[in-house]
Amino acid sequence: MNHNKQQSSDLGHDDDAALSDFLASLMDYTPTIPDELVEHFLAKSGFQSPDLRLTRLVAVATQKFIAEVASDALQQCKARQATVVRDKRDKQQKDKRLVLTMEDLSRALHEHGVNVKHQEYFADSPSIGMDPASRDE
Amino acid sequence: MSDGGRESERGPEKPAPQRKPGGEEFAQAFVKVAVAQICESEGFQSFQQSALETLSDVTVRYIRDIGKTAHVYANQAGRTESNVFDIIQGLEDLGLAQGFLGASDIEHCLASSGTVRELAQYVGESEQIPFAYSLPQFPVVKDRKLTPSFLQIGEEPPGEHIPAWLPAFPDPGTYAQSSTPNDKTTELKMAKIEQENQRRKPERSLLNLNQWLASNELERPSSVDAGDDAKAKQAAESNPFLAAPLQYGEKEVSPVVLPVKTKLSNDTTTGNPIVKYHGMDNHVSVLEAFTPNIEAMKSGLRDSEEGHKKVLLKTRPTVQFKLGSGKKYLGSMLDSSPQNKSFQVTESWFGRLNEKDDKKRRAEQILKESVGNLQELDHL
Repeated sequence: MNHNKQQSSDLGHDDDAALSDFLASLMDYTPTIPDELVEHFLAKSGFQSPDLRLTRLVAVATQKFIAEVASDALQQCKARQATVVRDKRDKQQKDKRLVLTMEDLSRALHEHGVNVKHQEYFADSPSIGMDPASRDE
Repeated sequence: MSDGGRESERGPEKPAPQRKPGGEEFAQAFVKVAVAQICESEGFQSFQQSALETLSDVTVRYIRDIGKTAHVYANQAGRTESNVFDIIQGLEDLGLAQGFLGASDIEHCLASSGTVRELAQYVGESEQIPFAYSLPQFPVVKDRKLTPSFLQIGEEPPGEHIPAWLPAFPDPGTYAQSSTPNDKTTELKMAKIEQENQRRKPERSLLNLNQWLASNELERPSSVDAGDDAKAKQAAESNPFLAAPLQYGEKEVSPVVLPVKTKLSNDTTTGNPIVKYHGMDNHVSVLEAFTPNIEAMKSGLRDSEEGHKKVLLKTRPTVQFKLGSGKKYLGSMLDSSPQNKSFQVTESWFGRLNEKDDKKRRAEQILKESVGNLQELDHL
């Protein structure tokens, strides 16, 4: 027990050191989401902190979250493109444009616990459901 | 929804706010830009509009969730300000859905939390993507102009119980009334004036109409009238109901039989000419227009022996039948008069109409009773 405690305390020190180093390194790294924006939204939920490092921590965490979601959606998109049958060899084999669609996004978010349901279509104009060629898009 | 999104290029465009910009719109727009930049760095080349909006909304919620959780943990520990451990705990809570290393370890120190380690990894690996725009400090706090205190003004506060550091009272002119007239007499006057005004409204409109008709005949050099003319012509071209009214004699119309009784009633002389034009303007209450008739009728009932009043009753022909609410009164009044046999035909006509409507019948009965009462009073 004592040995463990000592180890853990040593580790605790290391961890603390690691944490403070990490926070210090955050000041060098500029997160994509600007600080003012993060502060604004944190203030809305009652979060108070004069320490800029904490704001940066939140910003980085959010960025990581978005990046994960985006990469999952990207994988979905690529998987869908791989299964699309190529019509002709003359044509470009795959649509190389990677578009973030609602479908991919909803699947990616579902894994992270966010349930997003997207409407298939809105019947708000007379041209809905008509021949796509004649429609103005 | 699948009509392609915006392209995310080097300089992502700011989405143009279509609606009235509020405080939320400003921040959301910037979040969209940031999210677009992150997605671009992941490899996406374009987005759907709705997908981008959804993702930015999720981002905002994520930030707010972290803040809320951190705040809750800080409060639990008895602090108002959050510190790094509160945030780490918040991140752990949010990351439990996805899972992180060491999530099941309940005794670990927060500093060595899996989330922090993953975060450090991410920071080490990914490249920095600076935000595309420079953001001002927002929301902008407006300097409030506070009411100066008594001390600041240099005034003595009225009354000893008011300390001098409190804000001063406003000017007495802002809250005190200038003069206080005698209440009751003014009320009566106002009521009378209002009554008169209501009576004069149709008269005024009639006068205006007459004036306009008269002035239409002459040439008018003033630009305002010419403008009205032009407008009237324009309107007339588009809408036949807005066409200028016909002058007297322009079109052949059947002659109108004026009811004789209008000469007999004395008190409401101003109301009478309105009866002719009543078909055009329905806003003036029908009852008001018919009060001379009804009153005349009542007076006619009382003095039913006089011969010339009979003329009054007999010469009340079809003109009034066309207007809706007048029927009830006339029908019920006519019913009660015992002398007029000529109206029995019309009464039967009324009867047929009234059969269709229960409510009308009931109203008629009530009126009959009231007129019956009047007659009784006369007999007394």
